[in-house]
Amino acid sequence: MLSELEACLTRINAVLLGKEAQVRLAVTCLLARGHLLLEDLPGMGKTTLSHTLARVMGLAFQRIQFTSDLLPGDILGTSVFDRDSGRFVFHPGPIFAELVLADEINRATPKSQSALLEAMEEGQVTIEGATRPLPDPFFVIATQNPANQGGTFALPESQLDRFLMRLSLGYPAREAEKALLMGGTRRDALAHIEPLLDHTRLHEIQAEVARVRVSDALADYVLRLVEATRTQPQFAWGLSPRGSLALLAAARAWAFLDGRDYVIPEDVQAVLPAVVGHRLRERADPTGLGGGTLVQWLLREVPPL
Amino acid sequence: MSLLTIPRETLVWLMVAQVLVILPHLAHLPLWIVALWLGCGLWRVRIYRMQASYPPGWLKGLAMLVVGAGVYLSHDGLVGLDAGVTLLIAAFILKLVEMRSRRDAVVVIFLGFFAVATSYLFEDGLLAGLFSLLPILALLAAMIGLQQSRLFGRPWPAVRLAGGLLLQAVPLMLVLFVFFPRVGPLWSLPQAQTRGTTGLAEEMAPGDIAELSQSGELAFRASFSGELPPRAALYWRALTFEQFDGRRWARGPSSHVMRAPAWTPQGAPLDYSVVMQPSGQPWLFALDVPELPGGEAQLMGDFHLQRSRPVEAALMYRVRSWPAAVRQPRLPQSVARAGLQLPAQGNPRSRAWAAELKATHPTPQAVVEALLRHFNQAPYVYTLKPPPVGEDIVDGFLFDTRRGFCIHYAGAMTFVLRAAGIPSRVVVGYQGGELNEAGNYVSVRQLDAHAWVEYWLAGRGWVRVDPTFQVAPERIEQGLVEAVPEERALFDDSAIALLRYRDIGWLNDLRLKWEGINYGWQRWVLGYQGDEQLALIQRWFGSVDYRALGAGVVGALAIGMAVLALVLFKPWRNVRDRQREGYARFEQALARHGVRRQPGEGPRAFGERAAQRLPERAEAILAFVRQYEAQRYAGQTADSVALDRALRRVCRQLRWRAARSRGE
Repeated sequence: MLSELEACLTRINAVLLGKEAQVRLAVTCLLARGHLLLEDLPGMGKTTLSHTLARVMGLAFQRIQFTSDLLPGDILGTSVFDRDSGRFVFHPGPIFAELVLADEINRATPKSQSALLEAMEEGQVTIEGATRPLPDPFFVIATQNPANQGGTFALPESQLDRFLMRLSLGYPAREAEKALLMGGTRRDALAHIEPLLDHTRLHEIQAEVARVRVSDALADYVLRLVEATRTQPQFAWGLSPRGSLALLAAARAWAFLDGRDYVIPEDVQAVLPAVVGHRLRERADPTGLGGGTLVQWLLREVPPL
Repeated sequence: MSLLTIPRETLVWLMVAQVLVILPHLAHLPLWIVALWLGCGLWRVRIYRMQASYPPGWLKGLAMLVVGAGVYLSHDGLVGLDAGVTLLIAAFILKLVEMRSRRDAVVVIFLGFFAVATSYLFEDGLLAGLFSLLPILALLAAMIGLQQSRLFGRPWPAVRLAGGLLLQAVPLMLVLFVFFPRVGPLWSLPQAQTRGTTGLAEEMAPGDIAELSQSGELAFRASFSGELPPRAALYWRALTFEQFDGRRWARGPSSHVMRAPAWTPQGAPLDYSVVMQPSGQPWLFALDVPELPGGEAQLMGDFHLQRSRPVEAALMYRVRSWPAAVRQPRLPQSVARAGLQLPAQGNPRSRAWAAELKATHPTPQAVVEALLRHFNQAPYVYTLKPPPVGEDIVDGFLFDTRRGFCIHYAGAMTFVLRAAGIPSRVVVGYQGGELNEAGNYVSVRQLDAHAWVEYWLAGRGWVRVDPTFQVAPERIEQGLVEAVPEERALFDDSAIALLRYRDIGWLNDLRLKWEGINYGWQRWVLGYQGDEQLALIQRWFGSVDYRALGAGVVGALAIGMAVLALVLFKPWRNVRDRQREGYARFEQALARHGVRRQPGEGPRAFGERAAQRLPERAEAILAFVRQYEAQRYAGQTADSVALDRALRRVCRQLRWRAARSRGE
């Protein structure tokens, strides 16, 4: 099981050069059944990452480009009158896929955003009175562009909370970029990737991840972290129980990827920035994106033992 | 945002506190201190607004020298209480400009507390004490602001918290006040110059007493356990003057005799306690003939009370007086000689008149009565503004001007008595005082200063006689102010205020109440030390001495702290965690080799780092970490033996390395 995952990671890393840490976190997020928010400038490989992930994991992939005129129906699907049968026939939208890439999610209106986010939370969509289950596994990778904020609708904190992780890929290292420049077009490579898993296999692995052991001592560490965010004055607000559950789920997946069936504090620390960074705000600047310094403070000051 | 910078709120409170600290000192500070404060405050504000920079080193040095010179010029030196306090305040002000970091701010705050404490040396009244709570509050607020996160810093919550802290300190303060042993001063502090300038002195010319009589300042208060005696009976003796040089009266030899002459108690005694204002002189005030159960002072050869040290702080003492006692029925030769001493020449008319009196009256008593009659019937005037007399002051007063006040009458009468061969002397002290019926006490002010005469009669001893009573009985019965109604302009402000409102009933009541509160403060707060303290504590706990008291206070504090620690830390709630203890020992072992865990470092990360730093011990270290991890996180059953074994291996190896490195 682990070797399969290792192979997946190797394959993704072969396409997305020099981003081992982010790739590992993205896979962790997938294993923990969470959704991923990628925040980066255009052209940093966000789409490539999601595409490769879908390919390697053998998941059905759909991409939704969010624009300001996108309607909820464009995401979820609509019923269209079929003249032959004389009935309304439901045409499922792009959300009925196993891996959905919601590109530039903050360009759409809040109404369309919440259509997607509700689907993410519930695992099902209700259209015209009929409830339709989404595929399982269902994994959303949303991207947003931190620059060029004109004409965008920033995700409110309550919706940010639904993403297990927020990652940013960042510029590639010099060697990676050189390899990128010297190599052939990556799109071709992408087209030829063979899936290493399928969704049943992924399902089994996810079930296995949920069984990774969390000891008392570790739960205490997570509680100390959460407690710190709730009591220390520099935090505008504390982590929600959903936040602490997310932290533990991600730590389990990370430990599993590391080949262990138990979680150690280092696992929590490894996923902490990605998991809680977008859930925290500094009191001094409650509208800003200052989660990063708070996470560093947590890592530095909260005793893991 | 640096942790080292001084928050705005702290600065504001610090400057407020500085004003409040300096305010009560203004009476004895030179005026340039105010200018110094304004300049430094302005500079500080400009620094805060980034309009000015911190003073350079040479400027600080220069300011120090200038301030030193200023203090030297203002106080004629750098030594002494006034100069010391001025220096302290100046340093307190200059530090305001110099402070950069929080540490500096803390220094300024503590300097402020010290300056507040020094203000008690000058003024220990109730109002001053209450006022000093304000600077303390502001200083506490500044201190709190310094510790608070800048995100929270608002000025008012800091003050509220400071007030809460002060209130919480009240019980502790009361306990310490009651029980803390008052330690005598280890060294004598030079007293403030404002002290001891008013009051009776070693020797007095008539003008001195006149000047004294114009001051409304308080000399002492006495509260009686029984009924208040009538005003006319209150002759508070301070000193006797036995030597006359033709112009001034001064203390004679018997006032330096450290032994009380023989006297027999008679009649009913009076029990009272006196709270005396600092006088800067060693003598105490009491009615005749005093006994001091506390033994604070010695009854001297002329029946005045003297202490070994001057009274430089408010002093409380209990006295039992025997007003009807017979004093010194047998007069020793030396005292008789002193009681008859006169200058070799001068005042011939008085001497002649004395001889005539002696010739016409058979007994000394008759001479005295004749003299009193003379004062009563001849046109004498009681005034605080006597006209100048010539070379022979007694002659000039008795026969020419016939205007004067107590010391003139007492001096002249003593002179004539001596010239007539009757041993006599001038007694100075206070007469009467303001009776406060509600509080059953008497307030005696400087304007109650008085002089009278005592002469010696065979068999009856020393007898008090007051010639002023013959001239101006209202002086004795109602007080000085009533005796000289047209001379009110002479009195100083405090005395005037006293007079002006005496006739407005409710205002006078209010004043008397306030007096009563002040007296209570002096008597029960300032006077609570030494024997008073011991007496109170012994009433509660039986016989204790200061050593037991000190040990008790320290012990009670220690027990209190221990209880507090138990309540705060709740050790019974801590479950012992062997794995954690094991890891702590592991950390200690590695720390000895210079590898220390960061507070946020996980157990495995630390182990791996340690293994990298000490590659030859890597195996043992990693084995321990694996064992720890397996037991703590992987759900293996706790096995302290295995963990201990792994730990011992680490410790052994590390110790060995240390030994080897020492051997090298």
